[in-house]
Amino acid sequence: MGSNTGRALVGAAATVVVGGALIAAIAFGVASAAPKQPVLQATPAGTIVVAGKTLPHYTLNLATYPDSLQGVHGASGGAHPDWVTYSNNNLSAPPNSAVTVTVKQYDTGGTPNNTFFANVIGTVGGTETVNGKAITSIDPNNVGHTFTLRGIPENGQEFFLNAPFPAQSSSAPNVVNIGKGSYPKPIVVTFTFVTPANGVYQWNCEFPCGDSVAGFGGAMSTFGYMSGTLTVG
Amino acid sequence: MNQEYTPMTLKREHREIFLAWAVITIAGVLVGIYVIPWLMPQPASNTMHLVIITMQTFTIAAAPVAGLVYAVAFYALHHWRHPGTDEPPPDGPPLRGNTWVAGVWLVTSALLCTFLLVWGLAALAADDSGAASAKLTVDVTGQQWVWSFHYPGTEVSTPILYLPEGKTVTFDVTSKDVVHGFWIVQMGIKVDANPGVITTTSTTPDKLGTFDLRCAELCGLNHAFMVTTVHVVTPAQFQTWLHSQPASV
Repeated sequence: MGSNTGRALVGAAATVVVGGALIAAIAFGVASAAPKQPVLQATPAGTIVVAGKTLPHYTLNLATYPDSLQGVHGASGGAHPDWVTYSNNNLSAPPNSAVTVTVKQYDTGGTPNNTFFANVIGTVGGTETVNGKAITSIDPNNVGHTFTLRGIPENGQEFFLNAPFPAQSSSAPNVVNIGKGSYPKPIVVTFTFVTPANGVYQWNCEFPCGDSVAGFGGAMSTFGYMSGTLTVG
Repeated sequence: MNQEYTPMTLKREHREIFLAWAVITIAGVLVGIYVIPWLMPQPASNTMHLVIITMQTFTIAAAPVAGLVYAVAFYALHHWRHPGTDEPPPDGPPLRGNTWVAGVWLVTSALLCTFLLVWGLAALAADDSGAASAKLTVDVTGQQWVWSFHYPGTEVSTPILYLPEGKTVTFDVTSKDVVHGFWIVQMGIKVDANPGVITTTSTTPDKLGTFDLRCAELCGLNHAFMVTTVHVVTPAQFQTWLHSQPASV
């Protein structure tokens, strides 16, 4: 009985160890298979006064393309050259700083699933500029993409930002050649926000610019295209 | 183990099983009284108080049944296990035909089930009764992967939920794409947000503070980040906040 019990215990322990190792190996394999994209660090730009306070000022330059022939996917477009993409996905900026984001928008669009995301939310002054003109919202039936950034409240990160970008006209001529891509004259959107406390914040586009169900498949459901992180710290 | 069953053996086994049942039942009751409230989120609404008392009541009601099952199971595993390859001793006398045992089992089970059914229906009715007297309605929209809230009668829409303390609020919940789960953790509110359908639920926040709202249905890539904050403020603070919000398109 003693040896039987001992063998049973060893067998049970071995099963747990082997099972755990197998699960860990799968987890590490999946994690390492995820695309490794370079981090776009915000560039220092002096100081800026926001709500009466002088803050360090940084800039980030992004773009949204109708294909993946630009940006972090390389000149060949990577695995899905026909997928819509942001130029960069992993962003980084210091905490408690004002970051001015400039986005060159090259893509078409339409009406988002929820027109709420045509509003500018959480930026300095509650505004953004579109081709130099300050606005608080864009035409809800002509949204190209959005930059929607959020924290995780349970981590003490109550933070929400939404910057919508107008869509290009589908009849706009392609006048800009970048690498293998040819695009219309970009719509330039700028907005400034104050970075929250240290942490990793998640952002994504809220316009259904992907495939399948409600336009949230494909590029919308794959890291590194229309979603990413902002690492503050 | 190689003993013959005698009335004394049976009596001893019954006594030991009864003792194990009593210990496990008392442990279950203590879990219901003390551990369940500790495991549950700190309540911030009348609904959550009802959820917790229901969990406690059901746990306590289930304790004697679970106690009997575990007592017999553990006793059997420990005392009636037969190691080795030799022939096991003969089984004890069957309970089949014991009218008293069958009667007690049936009546107890029926009473327990009836009690739980009545309690559940009463709790559901109490939970639903708030909608008729609600002082505030909030349209809740879930979409991949953000919540947004509109306050009917105003042009205010926000990604963060504000509620006044002590006022019954009705949530009209829907989705723009796939099924989401509208879950205010500390308020005991959890309903599906279905595309094309409005599901109504209500509660009365009874605690000032900041609470968690999560999506409770796996909804895609950023499901884990479909979270936001619920602020419960005084009615005066709520009105001030509401009037300070910009109009949304």
